[in-house]
Amino acid sequence: MEAFFAFVCVFLALTALVASEASDILSAVISLSVFGVLMAMVFVILQAPDVALTQAVINSGLVTSFFLVAYSQTQKKSLPKQEKDPGDDI
Amino acid sequence: MIKISYATAIFVFCVGLYTILSKRNLFKTVIGLTIMEAGALMLIVTAGYVHGGVPPLIPIEGQAVNPLPHAFTLTAIVIGASDVALALALVIKVHRRYGTVDLDKIRGLKE
Amino acid sequence: MRLRDRLHDLVLLCLCLGMGWWLWEGVAAIDDPEYIIGPAAYYLVNTAKETGAVNVVAAILFDYRGIDTLGEATVIYTTVCGVAMLFSKSKYKKSSAGLSFIARRGISFVVPFLFMYGSAIILMGHLSPGGGFQGGAVFATITILFCIVFGSSFEASRISPKTKETIESLGGLLFVFIGGVGLLAGAGFLANTAAGFPRGQVGNFLSAGTIPLLNVAVGMKVGAGLSTIFYSMVKVLDLEFNEQLTEVMDNDKN
Repeated sequence: MEAFFAFVCVFLALTALVASEASDILSAVISLSVFGVLMAMVFVILQAPDVALTQAVINSGLVTSFFLVAYSQTQKKSLPKQEKDPGDDI
Repeated sequence: MIKISYATAIFVFCVGLYTILSKRNLFKTVIGLTIMEAGALMLIVTAGYVHGGVPPLIPIEGQAVNPLPHAFTLTAIVIGASDVALALALVIKVHRRYGTVDLDKIRGLKE
Repeated sequence: MRLRDRLHDLVLLCLCLGMGWWLWEGVAAIDDPEYIIGPAAYYLVNTAKETGAVNVVAAILFDYRGIDTLGEATVIYTTVCGVAMLFSKSKYKKSSAGLSFIARRGISFVVPFLFMYGSAIILMGHLSPGGGFQGGAVFATITILFCIVFGSSFEASRISPKTKETIESLGGLLFVFIGGVGLLAGAGFLANTAAGFPRGQVGNFLSAGTIPLLNVAVGMKVGAGLSTIFYSMVKVLDLEFNEQLTEVMDNDKN
């Protein structure tokens, strides 16, 4: 159990570094989502089931989707002369 | 095991702080905020851990872990998600005003 | 310029790691605890007698420290107000198209089970790990799935923003009303068994006084609030933004 916990902690530190250093924003957001799932695993090993459930649902479901919506809203839109394509706004 | 957990929580906190201070993209600032909050919460939950503990559900066999940090952490996770949502809404508004999310360009436009 | 930036980053990293070393010195001096002292020991021993709940964390969140949960519900409400106010001028021009037919059919099969899962987490918050916050987040995820798969106009027509606003306000009012019942009975705001709520038997579904009702109230508030935040951010821009953008880009060229 100690070896597995040490492995998960090293993985956690690596994921945090990738989320901070990646130059593409989408890669950083996906790395943040993996970070959240690993954090939920750490909470389970530390005998905290309530906290693990909250972290898994809120971080991987909601915060990631907020980031993706904000990222797609800040891509350069086309000029008003052309018709905007409705399919790529979400 | 507790020592490894403390060390990882402090390292993650420092990575989050470094990200907030030194990156130019506004999205990286918000990502750094999320990482910092997660590191601090991991520190709190580790502080309540007892060796050989069981989860705090009522037919307790043995020694249960401290349930108070769990209550604080639950509240803090939900509040963290709310303030990340508000920060992202502000980033969208900044993009609407300036056309970019690069911090150097935004400061350059003001001069 | 690039070398100076990299040097700055390196110095900053060393400073952050130095602060981390200082924190580690402080934290490593704490011995590992063998037993628990203080209020937590009292809560672990007396929860079954005084509240009748099985989940000690739920009893702490809704009975012993209920006012902190009311404060957290207020924080979520403030965030929803702030985000909705920031995006209040975006009119609703076009919705997104949604995904293909297979995705729509698949989601139609999955959503009733998600709904049942969320309700079970909320209603059994006093018997097993779970509660209002987790269940509310699952309900918000259901509306986000609707937005992505069917398009945001479909979602707005099924569950209109007015309905979400009503549900959220009702959740907050229910919380304060249950606290007010305790005040009327003479036992203090948000009192549980001292105000006359039935304690029941430990392990039954109908037990633990106000805790299931407070779970439902918090679930309604959190679910509707997070769903409103997502919907405000996903509304499509109108023509006003595009005109502002051409002004900025023309200034750049000059």
